[in-house]
Amino acid sequence: MGLPAARTSFAVATAAFLTLGLAAPVQAQGTIRIGVTLRMLVENGFKYGQMTKDELDAVNAAGGINGNKLEVILLDDECKPDKGVANANRFIHQNKVHLIIGSTCSSVSLPLVDISAKEQVPQIIPHSTNTSITQKGSAWVFRTSVAERFYAAVHAKYLAENAGKKVAYLFTNDGAAISFVRDYKGYMKTTYDVEPLYEAQMQETDLDFRPHLLKIKSLNPDVLAIGGQIDAIARIAQQSYEVGIPSKVRRVSASAASNAPVPELAGDAVKGLIFAAAFSCTDERDVAKNFVKMVQDKYKVRCPDHDFSQAYETAQIVKLALSRAKLKLTDASLAEDRAAIRDALATVKDYKGLASGPINFCADPTPQCRDGNRTGILVEYTKGGKDYQMRVLARVGFEPDFGLPKK
Amino acid sequence: MKDTATQADELAAGTERGRPAPAVRLSRRQVPWAIGFLALVALPWATPNAYHHFILNLILINVILAVGLNIVKGFAGQVTVGHIALAAIGAYTSAVLAAKFGVPFWLALPVATLLTGLVGALVGVPSFRLEGAYLALATLGLAESVRIAIGVTDYIGAAVGFSDIPPPEAFGRAIVDHRAYYYIIMPLALVSIYFSFCILRSDIGRSFKALREDSLAAAACGVNVRKYKLLAFVISALYAGCAGSLQAHMAPGFLHPNSYTITEMVTLLLMVVLGGLGHIWGGVVGAVVVTVIYDLTRDYYQYQMAIFGSVIVLTVLYMPRGIGGVIDDYLSRRRFVAARQAKAKADAGPGADANSDAS
Repeated sequence: MGLPAARTSFAVATAAFLTLGLAAPVQAQGTIRIGVTLRMLVENGFKYGQMTKDELDAVNAAGGINGNKLEVILLDDECKPDKGVANANRFIHQNKVHLIIGSTCSSVSLPLVDISAKEQVPQIIPHSTNTSITQKGSAWVFRTSVAERFYAAVHAKYLAENAGKKVAYLFTNDGAAISFVRDYKGYMKTTYDVEPLYEAQMQETDLDFRPHLLKIKSLNPDVLAIGGQIDAIARIAQQSYEVGIPSKVRRVSASAASNAPVPELAGDAVKGLIFAAAFSCTDERDVAKNFVKMVQDKYKVRCPDHDFSQAYETAQIVKLALSRAKLKLTDASLAEDRAAIRDALATVKDYKGLASGPINFCADPTPQCRDGNRTGILVEYTKGGKDYQMRVLARVGFEPDFGLPKK
Repeated sequence: MKDTATQADELAAGTERGRPAPAVRLSRRQVPWAIGFLALVALPWATPNAYHHFILNLILINVILAVGLNIVKGFAGQVTVGHIALAAIGAYTSAVLAAKFGVPFWLALPVATLLTGLVGALVGVPSFRLEGAYLALATLGLAESVRIAIGVTDYIGAAVGFSDIPPPEAFGRAIVDHRAYYYIIMPLALVSIYFSFCILRSDIGRSFKALREDSLAAAACGVNVRKYKLLAFVISALYAGCAGSLQAHMAPGFLHPNSYTITEMVTLLLMVVLGGLGHIWGGVVGAVVVTVIYDLTRDYYQYQMAIFGSVIVLTVLYMPRGIGGVIDDYLSRRRFVAARQAKAKADAGPGADANSDAS
């Protein structure tokens, strides 16, 4: 093929691709459409995204929910708000979904809350922990993950009583880490009137935390609070030992420490690291054992973290709500069906599954009603590396209005 | 100064020689713009749903960014990778003005645009002493510094994000609908393209091109190199500031530093390179193609980067000068064929037509 011909073919193929792609898809009647947007392109991200889809798709093989088939559209938002916003717009206007599941990162879930509220589409959040998500007052938002206001108190209470109150904070600039530190500091201030011993914020991409860690070592803290995502937590844990901070200083981290790569990357430095989570793969309950086995067999993950469990839990709650909702599933009834699903989600009460505690929703658009799981477990790594081990130290439940500003 | 009669005579002489008068030429030049404007006005009504209005808005914002980048990179030849930071400055300035001080969008937009232009002047200063990869590194430093500064500044939401940026209001109603918002972005995008053509055809545009080809030679010819380098950065920054402000106020009114990373900058560069450096329409087409391809490949996220990589490789293989280069080749080929046909016709003599008519 000559160069001009190749150019023409390339141009024609591109034009055809663009034209076909822009055509609006035809929506099947009698189908419940669910849009899922998660951070997929990270370690295990693709697997828990796929698991969510598989769990919902499996319903179709069993005849659907009340005879209605499910159609699940799974997209990656790369933890970037603009991508998440584009996904949500596509779900709502192009795919005409009845429900949105997402997202993983708080910085994506926050703008999605505004979109789902404006377009009146129910949204259920499986992973994001930032406290302010449910404080926006949207009637369309539900959260199955544990909010940071509960997690922070789990750490703070346990460590203040068992380790000490001199806390040094070292964290990166991601939404969950900032929320973790803010809420931890807030709890220490309001409960014990204690100010931070040391505080420093760094970039997510930073590699060397030792200058701050050396300073922290000289201050002789009781607790080193590490805020960040997977890489940062592992690096800070490792480097804290490199600079000589003794093991008697308790290391505590944001819930991202529950992700499997943290103990694998940090190795022995992760031993003794405490984190709050919604699930531990060492859970002895039958429901947890079955879940762990399913993930091991199907997704080849030895010890599923709470991102897996929360994604699974969210899928189960969605199925439960859909079975309760009275849906017409015609083009004309889309708004009515969305409202019915929202109302059905609000009826979920005392749901006991994999989560650290029962999940309760109610109709009021308040954090008290929409932060479903108010129980965090405190987990400690007892061994690092590929065959890491952990144990549950404590399980702490809270009242619905815990950690909220007093009126 | 020539008197009116002389000018009128010249005008008449020009018309007699078969050349159109300047006034007629100007209006003819504007006709395609008017047609384009009308087509763009109708476009949202021809698209199937609000998601496409959202994508149209993204495309137009990217068009403004790409056309602006093309001025500094394509016309003036300055290697900058800090354009996305200027968009961030425009976006956050507009957001702060509107959300924190209650400034209406209609005022926040020009103020943010002008302020970004000022920052553009600062960004342009290193270009006096740096060129090529060194200038790229300096502007990359700026881009990362801006993103990091945003990420640690609580006042503008830090790494959690800047929420609740108010939408524009018109006639007492908030413009949150993507189709309504399109009618704010579209005229600005069209004006920005038109303005870019005006620059290209002016003395400024020719000075930019002289700079791009050889700054020493340009200086030897009397081009004030510093002035025009700075001007290129300022004009380009004005575009970025305008695009940033439009981004900030588009529903749901949320900004986050992760939207201004090096990945976004590379995507922006891809638009300009794919479209063709120094080709205004090329930049526009590049912005459209990249935005649409990105959207169409959303379902295949695990292969998205591979698809993008393939597009770049295919572009470099088959369209090394971008889409603008292909259009240039096509037009010059057409002109060459037309000239050859005209020559052949002239060589055949006046009887040739009659013969061909008879046959």
